Amino acid sequence: MFKSDSLTLDSKKIKDFINKESNPFLKKSRNNFLKKLGEKKFNIKEEYKYTPLKQSLEKKFSLEFKIDKNIPSNIEKKILPYIVNDNSVYQIITLDGKIIKKFSNIPSKISFKNFEELDKKEKKILHQYFGENDDSDSDVFSALNGVLWSKGLFIYIKKNQIVDNPIIINNFYTSERNIFSSQLRNFIFMEKNSKLSICELDCALASNNFNSNVTEIILEERSELDYFKIQNDKNNSTSFNSTNIKQKRNSISNTFTFSFSGDMIRNNLNISLIDESCYCNMYGIYALNDDSHVDNHTSVDHIQKNSISNEHYKGIMNGNSNGVFNGKIFVRKEAQKTNAFQSNNNIILSDNAKINTKPQLEIWADDVKCSHGCTTGQLDENAIFYLQSRGINKDKAVSILINAFFDEIIQKINQNIIKDKVHKILSSKIESYLNEH
Amino acid sequence: MLSIKKLKVSIENNLILKGLNLEIKNGEVHAIMGPNGSGKSTLASVIAGNDNYKIESGSISFFGKNINNFSPDERAMMGIFLAFQYPVEIPGVSTINFIKTALNRIREFNKKKPLDAVGFLNTMKKKMNLVKIDRDLLSRSINEGFSGGEKKRNEIFQMAMLEPKLSILDETDSGLDIDALKIVSNGVNKLRTKDNSTIVVTHYQRLLDYIIPDYVHVLIDGKIVKSGNKDLALELENKGYDWL
Repeated sequence: MFKSDSLTLDSKKIKDFINKESNPFLKKSRNNFLKKLGEKKFNIKEEYKYTPLKQSLEKKFSLEFKIDKNIPSNIEKKILPYIVNDNSVYQIITLDGKIIKKFSNIPSKISFKNFEELDKKEKKILHQYFGENDDSDSDVFSALNGVLWSKGLFIYIKKNQIVDNPIIINNFYTSERNIFSSQLRNFIFMEKNSKLSICELDCALASNNFNSNVTEIILEERSELDYFKIQNDKNNSTSFNSTNIKQKRNSISNTFTFSFSGDMIRNNLNISLIDESCYCNMYGIYALNDDSHVDNHTSVDHIQKNSISNEHYKGIMNGNSNGVFNGKIFVRKEAQKTNAFQSNNNIILSDNAKINTKPQLEIWADDVKCSHGCTTGQLDENAIFYLQSRGINKDKAVSILINAFFDEIIQKINQNIIKDKVHKILSSKIESYLNEH
Repeated sequence: MLSIKKLKVSIENNLILKGLNLEIKNGEVHAIMGPNGSGKSTLASVIAGNDNYKIESGSISFFGKNINNFSPDERAMMGIFLAFQYPVEIPGVSTINFIKTALNRIREFNKKKPLDAVGFLNTMKKKMNLVKIDRDLLSRSINEGFSGGEKKRNEIFQMAMLEPKLSILDETDSGLDIDALKIVSNGVNKLRTKDNSTIVVTHYQRLLDYIIPDYVHVLIDGKIVKSGNKDLALELENKGYDWL
């Protein structure tokens, strides 16, 4: 049924799996994705040009279809250190996508549930939009996720609702070397004038975990979303992520993607500005070492006029690490007076680290302002000497410069608790860089 | 204070300094003059410890200690300061934080307590006055978007803050208009004591009207070919370098 140069799956077992879906709508949806998988010609060669799928998948994972039932013992003990006792955040803990209520403090006024817990109205929303707003037409792993997702998170923010504190979701994954256990599908629906900050942190509790996380987000008029992703997994995870945002008139999205650790990470971020006067900021930091591979594929689609998109990704690579940045900007014919900016800056610290960066602009409108730029270089030796000549030792100078490099992105984080967290991870990252030199 | 003996220095296998000798005692001001490409800036960088340059032979001693293999920060802590000809812009690093970090490193080295925020601000205010540098400028990233004159004033301001024993001014006059030149020179003069010394590297005699040197050395093709007092600078101004 589904074949790429890296994956061949057993169609009978997958059909058996789909038949176990009890919700008729979702069953149909899974079958639709399955159809896509069979019919679409996915351009894997191009879309995963710099990401060695074969190596990542074939060697490490069992393609035998099975759902892990054995949740490792003493899970609680492993989760506890991640729980923050802080009144200024809402914390949600999920285990392979299932919300663990006893560790979660869900704000009472909003709908935040697993799919199987939805009431009638919530179901109606889900059924109206689900599965229509992802990138499964072009990305084979998003399509695969559409068939095989095992758990879903549903977040619904009602009209005029302002969620006062950020929601921090810690996703824990338990399976080892199995492609089918940790596939999640999230759905966020924000009604008019609502406001939400959300932060997802992925953490594998077993080594060599495979996880896939597809999120569909709909922002209605004048709603505003901050969406953070922090990837700092030390357990050699392979992770496919796809975040898809559809924005209506005057809505604002601020996305932040921070990748610090992980064996192979692919992040698709697709933003579709379907109405006039939308605004989106896309920020990213990747700070890598060892053999980490992080691939950020972003796209922003200006469909109507007067919208602004602003994208800035920055990366540092050390050791044998590999970075990929691919940024697409589409400006459709109707999208006059578009402002679209993109920039990607990279610093390479070692001889074996690598970055492949590619801007891709397709503009059909004639009255637009678009710019893009990418740079790749090393730390500025003259700046290091300048700092040293004032009594600052070389390690401190390097750390000052790396912090300064990322500072303009970090300053954009409008949630202090997240800013602190990112700062902390970055500091320990810089320390590891200095130890490697 | 500083003693340079038979110093040979190369960069990318090109010999730039070809056996240079220089002695500087406490409280002295030495001017190094010379045509383009004679090695003036190389000398300044090498004393500060820039490792792009390779010391082939000879020695640099500072207060009797051979510092050939000392890193730039070790030299800075011992009291060597280089005012750069082209100060580097470092976006994202606030000037004030940078100077505070530097100052406290140097104080720590000298077994002094680090300055607290209040102590630091008080010191800063005094020294700001000296070079007429604006507080706003110091809250910005290091040299980012500074004009040529502002960058040079920032160098002298750092020198005032760090109170080095030996200051090397590398073409501090280049790119300065006459008013800025006066302000910068005035700052340097006020920082002079009987203990600290200054090396002024310059193309032109003009700066030496404001910072009066005790000695003038002419550097040509990697060697000091003539030394004298301040009158030598005037003579050079009239005759050029060819007569040497």
